Formats: sequence, C-alpha cells, structure tokens
Amino acid sequence: MIWLSPSFPVGAFAFSHGLEWAVETGDVHDYKSVCLWLDDLLQHGSGRSDTVSVALAYKAVQAHDEQALQELTEWVVAAQPSSERRLEALMQGQAFALAIKSAWGHPRFTELCELCGPDLPYSIAFGLACACHAIPLPAALRAYALAFVSNLVSAAIRLGPLGQTDGQRVLSVMLPAVEATALFAQTAEFHEWGGSAFYSDISSMRHETQYTRLFRS
Amino acid sequence: MLDAISLSDLSSSGVAVPALPSYIRARGNLSLRLKKGPHKSAIVDLREAGGYRLKFPRAEQCEAMIVNTGGGLAGGDQLHFDLALEEGATAVISTQSAEKIYRAESDASEVNLDFTLAPQAHLYWLPQESIVFDGAYLRRKMQLNLSSRACFAAFEGFVFGRQAMGETVQDAHIEDDWMIRREGRLIFAERLRLSGDLADQLTRPALGHGARVAATFLYVAPDAESRLEEARRLLDDYQGIWGASAWNGLLTIRFLDSEPARLRRQAIVFLQTFLGFALPRVWQC
Repeated sequence: MIWLSPSFPVGAFAFSHGLEWAVETGDVHDYKSVCLWLDDLLQHGSGRSDTVSVALAYKAVQAHDEQALQELTEWVVAAQPSSERRLEALMQGQAFALAIKSAWGHPRFTELCELCGPDLPYSIAFGLACACHAIPLPAALRAYALAFVSNLVSAAIRLGPLGQTDGQRVLSVMLPAVEATALFAQTAEFHEWGGSAFYSDISSMRHETQYTRLFRS
Repeated sequence: MLDAISLSDLSSSGVAVPALPSYIRARGNLSLRLKKGPHKSAIVDLREAGGYRLKFPRAEQCEAMIVNTGGGLAGGDQLHFDLALEEGATAVISTQSAEKIYRAESDASEVNLDFTLAPQAHLYWLPQESIVFDGAYLRRKMQLNLSSRACFAAFEGFVFGRQAMGETVQDAHIEDDWMIRREGRLIFAERLRLSGDLADQLTRPALGHGARVAATFLYVAPDAESRLEEARRLLDDYQGIWGASAWNGLLTIRFLDSEPARLRRQAIVFLQTFLGFALPRVWQC
C-alpha cells in the first residue's frame, strides 16, 4: 500500500495523537505500556473509529449514497475531541487528497472530494480513494489499521520509550488486534462508531500546553 | 408513575414467550418553553407526564429542576425532554438527585433530550451525575440546535458503581450521543460507547486511567475560545485528571477522577467561577 507508506506526503510523522504527552507523564514508557496504549485505541478509541470511518466512506461511494457520505464527513469532523486532533485529521486528509489527485488522478475521487467540502478527515479521504480505485475493502481496512499503529510506533521510537527492535516487536504483537479491528470495521454500522478513550483524548488536550514538543499533536 | 405495563415479550427466536410482567415501563415526557421576562425568564408552555416533574425553585434567574418520581431508570424506562428557549431567555436546568441507571433485563433505558436556543438565549444544563449500576443498559441522545448568538454550557458525569457500597460495574452497555448544531451546521458530535466489563476498561491506560467517574464540560458561545486560558487556570490545583481544548466557537473540558466526591467539589468551584453565578441549591449539598 503505497498510499500509506511513510514516503506518501501526508505528514503523518508530525502527529503523535496525544502520545507525546503520555510519554512526558511517564504513562507510556516501555514496550509493554506502548502495547497497552495501542490496544486501547484499536479496541475502544480512535483506531477503531477511524477504521470504521474508512469502511463507511468506502461503502457510501459504492452505494452512490452521496448524502450518507456528506453526513459521515460532517460527523467525523465534528467528533474530533480536541483542536490538535482536529488539525491532525484535517491536515492529513487535505494532504492525502491533494497527493492522490495529482499523482493518481481519478475524476470520481476529485468529484467526491468536492462534495465532501474542504474539511476532509484523513480516514474519509482514504476510504474514498480506495473505493474509487477499486481496492478490496478488507485489504484497505487492514492496511489502514496497521498504518495507524505503525505511525504511533514510529512516534514512540522517536520519543524514546521504544528501540528499533522493540518497535518491530510491538508491530508483530499488535497484528491480531489490527486484524480484529479491520474485521469489525468491515461490517460495522454508523451507530457503532464511537468509543471511550477518555485518557487518550485528554492527552491530546494536555499536549497543547506541553513545554517541549516534537509533534504537532 | 407507571403508565405502561408491557405484558408480552418476544424471545430472540421471534416466538412469543408466556406473557409475564417481567419489567415495568415508565414513559416520561417533559416539555418546557421559556421566554424572556422583565426580571427573569417566564414559562410559555409546560407539560409533564409519566413520572417526571419540573420544579421551579425560587432563584435569581430561572431555575428548573427535574424530578424523577420513579427514583431512577430501569430497563425499558424512557424520558423525553423537549426544551425551547426563546430569544433572550435564560435557564439553569438541574436534577433533584443523581440519576440511577439500574440493571436492565432486556430493553435499554432511553433518554432523549431535544434543546433549541434562539438568539441571545442562555442555557446552563447542569444535571447531577448519573450513577451506572452493574447490568445497566442506557441509550441517551442529546440534540441541541442553537443560534450563533446563543450560549450553551453543560456539565455531565457518569459515576461507575457506588463506591461506598463497594460496587463495580462488571457488565453494562452505555451509548451516549451528543449532537450540537449551530445555525443548522453540526459543530460538535460525540458518541460515547462503553460496553462489557467497565470496571476493567476503566483501569486501562488510554481509557479510564483508573477513574471511577468521567465527566465533560462543554461551553458553546461566541467567547468560548478566548476563555480557554481562564478555564485552564481555574483547574490548575485540581488533583484529578483533566484536559481542556477550544476550537470553532466551543470549549470542552474532560475530567477523570478516582474519587467522585473530589470531582464534584472541584466542579462546583469551577462552574460557579466560570459561569459567574451560584449553582442550584441541589448542587450545594
């Protein structure tokens, strides 16, 4: 999946999703605490919701249900829990859409982006692109959930709690959870979107006033 | 008041099982419309049905207190509350006691809140905390439509199990949806989904982080973003977990605390200072 590789220009490296604060407080400090944090996000937090958003956007495109797509986009934008998480979702969405348009040009994708408006979250943009380019949904969801995890693993490596080898260990240990999240998202309905990652949301808020920061979220 | 008793039930196979009054349903309906008055806001229309009442204690501004004569919400119980504030009206809404969400045998306890605020209206939605019992099944939906020149503040919390009784919530299902539209445009959406062993989930690092209570403060007003620093300063000494953020004309604060009483004390001080008035008397005891 070239679109999710670190070389694809969405700027994912600039965002830690609140993880930088959790490292600062010591809540996330080693291999085990990184795994627990990621598992929470995949089962009850943004990892789950974002993967469901990808699936719902994909299906709305397939069903030519433009109203559902617009409502979903409006919802996902409004449901971002803090100003930095909102920035993270929208900046990456915009960058992703721009790159897809200029490098892979698909008239339907451009059309759908216009329909959704300028505030386009990353998960929705990715779902649209996959649907327009006929990438099978299960593969798209697995790749998205894995990219979500691997971006945070790479953030954890840069922040210190993980060495390079431990980073790989986290990824291999997280694979079943990634798989489960992707599988859940495949059949999830709109009312199942949501979660309970209170502390992760609070971390992204506290990050706003963190004294030294490498990341924008 | 119990105005509907369901005598039949359907098993999951769709076959009717012997009719038994396995649960008793309460269907509460509240509807209130307020207008601006010479001193404080006045009632234009008030309807109460099914075990819920609104009391209006004497206070400087219009205060309404929701009273649930049934003493809590069981499975199958419903409450629908419609509230409209006309131009310039102000209301402080609270509840007489903490709402208890009891074990549900099959159906969910359902709460629907529909609020509408005209220009210059001010709504302060300050119910006392909801206490989630083991086996609770709650589906709650709050929809707010407000004018861009209106102001809405809310503080709401869930306490998981009664600490004094040593209770924990091993199995419950909570769906809490908030949808806030300003001039028709969705500006804030939230879907809290808690399901399964909540006692365990609340200990998880990125979820409850050891909390027994989770609460949210939300402030939607033209000056919301400019008051973020002030809000943060007010919480500087608080020993619980909190985070505040503001964007797009709204300010939100999330709270987690292992001690519900400590959060309540902090909330009283914070709300009174930030909102600039004394909280309803029910909050003080």
